[in-house]
Amino acid sequence: MGISETYTRGRELAVTRPGSVLLGLVGVVLLFDLLVSLVTGTQSLSGVGSLVWDGLMRGLVIGLAGIGLSMTYSILNFANFAHGDYITAGAFSGWATTYLIAGLGRADVGALLLVGASGSVFGGTLGIGVTGTPVAVVAGIVVAGISTVLLALLIDRTVFKPIRDEDGITLLITSVGVAFALRYLMQFVFSSSVRGTTAQPPSLSLYLVDGAVRINAHDIALVVVAGSLMLGVHLLLQLTKLGKAMRAMADNEDLAQITGIPTERVVRAVWVVGGGLTGVAGYIFILWKGTLGFNDGWLLLLLIFAAVILGGIGSIYGAIVGGLAIGLTASLSVIWIPSSFSRAAAFFVMIVLLLVKPEGLFSGRSTA
Amino acid sequence: MSADADSDIATETVDSDDADAAGVSQETVPDREPDALLEVRDLDAGYGDLQILTDVDLDVADGEYVTIVGPNGAGKSTVMKSVFGLTNLMGGTVLFDGGDITGLRPEDIIHEGIGYVPQNDNVFASLTVRENLEMGAYILDEVPQDALDAVFDRFPILEERESQKAGTMSGGQQQMLAMGRALMLDPSLLLLDEPSAGLAPDLVDDMFDRIDAINDDGTAVLMVEQNAKEALRRCDRGYVLANGKNRYMDDGDTLLNDEQVRQDFLGG
Repeated sequence: MGISETYTRGRELAVTRPGSVLLGLVGVVLLFDLLVSLVTGTQSLSGVGSLVWDGLMRGLVIGLAGIGLSMTYSILNFANFAHGDYITAGAFSGWATTYLIAGLGRADVGALLLVGASGSVFGGTLGIGVTGTPVAVVAGIVVAGISTVLLALLIDRTVFKPIRDEDGITLLITSVGVAFALRYLMQFVFSSSVRGTTAQPPSLSLYLVDGAVRINAHDIALVVVAGSLMLGVHLLLQLTKLGKAMRAMADNEDLAQITGIPTERVVRAVWVVGGGLTGVAGYIFILWKGTLGFNDGWLLLLLIFAAVILGGIGSIYGAIVGGLAIGLTASLSVIWIPSSFSRAAAFFVMIVLLLVKPEGLFSGRSTA
Repeated sequence: MSADADSDIATETVDSDDADAAGVSQETVPDREPDALLEVRDLDAGYGDLQILTDVDLDVADGEYVTIVGPNGAGKSTVMKSVFGLTNLMGGTVLFDGGDITGLRPEDIIHEGIGYVPQNDNVFASLTVRENLEMGAYILDEVPQDALDAVFDRFPILEERESQKAGTMSGGQQQMLAMGRALMLDPSLLLLDEPSAGLAPDLVDDMFDRIDAINDDGTAVLMVEQNAKEALRRCDRGYVLANGKNRYMDDGDTLLNDEQVRQDFLGG
């Protein structure tokens, strides 16, 4: 009797939600494969631990950068493809500041301001890092945030504001144009070379059964900065008048206007908050990975879109959770497939999850 | 010395104000509405290039309860939206409390003391009840505690559900929240667009009672209603609108008993 009931329920599930069942099966197979390789010694537990940590770090960067994208989406109703290049712009402005402060007197000012274009100065030689040059790094973070805010406001005023009432597709295509213009402007100024930006940061090793998981100072900096900014955005949206107005506007713009909320001012505030987070995300992304190129933001944008869509576009909590999910997937996928497919794996997981839960993990456009 | 001088000036100012006020009211005695709060004159309005209203006149006196009835597509809601600056005004004037508010934007009109409750989507669904009410007082520096208490007194259910998300409440509760939000600024005129729409029949009477109570406390009400008979029974004065033009205007009861109005607009 009990068995037949279980059987019936299982059958029902298989018929009504075949996707979930298949997904569950795939998960079981992958987990089994991981267990086998752990037992046979092809994978070490500490190796998996390192991948998880790496995935969490990536996820924090993606999540932090995704908040800005999600906020502008929920309030302005368009997907801003220039967002990735805001990240790069924040990174370049911040790193130019860091180079300048760290290398003043030791290298040519022009070379420092161009973040060592064409190998004129190297971040490693200047000893840049959270522990080596803390002042330069903090100043870089601040400048990255502020200059990205200014850039976002400038582009909004000159490009997006005049077409605010057009439909989402018009705005989207315009933002693609802005993205190209920004990217190649930065390539023109800073050159297309990919430069190393940091010296080897000090690290500590956490011993995990059969080996060590290395955590370096820049990982810690990323966790602290991203974590506190995420908490800050949460408090802003839940506790302050401006934050509540942002949520109200994301919810129902017409009603917000009728209620007397100054919608244009809220839009500006969204660019300020979103732009600031994006710039800082760009800076610490580079701090964490240690190299900087003009394509970094653009390449990251695809993963950010995946994260934001996975989380339910418009929700900042969705962006954070989606970012962690995408980051972990991209990192952990190398357990089973070659690392060159890790991005593809992230998108594959996004597509599969959306097939099962089409509205995203945090459904709805509520910024809450 | 200087204090005396100040008080003298103050007294004088008050005196002259009184005199002015008396003079004005004497002059306007022949007018039917000596204390008109809202005066709409020769209003032409619509959406985009599409004109809906032609030469609409409408008055609401201080503390009065006025309804607009008429067939579907008569432009009832458009009148209300025009007062609140949500349509394309093509002609005419809108005076409120002696000042010209023609063509002002909603965020400015709300400062003048008009509250508007639209028919649909009139609460922020993802915000809590309390946050919705706070948004109602957005233009003030701080949420006025007395206004919040007054709204909670009027609609106790809102206090009970203070931290519930508005979107998860019933239609009737959402309607109360929408009114509460509009009352947070203690407006002198409340615009209500179809407050009984979508409510269960047994709640409709309750909703009308609540509107009566708001009006009894001194807030003028301008209401658009599908439920024309009940609206005319409740109101002080009614306007019948058809094809975007004024057709009839009289006391609610008179309109209710008028043979022509009954036949043409109230279904016999």
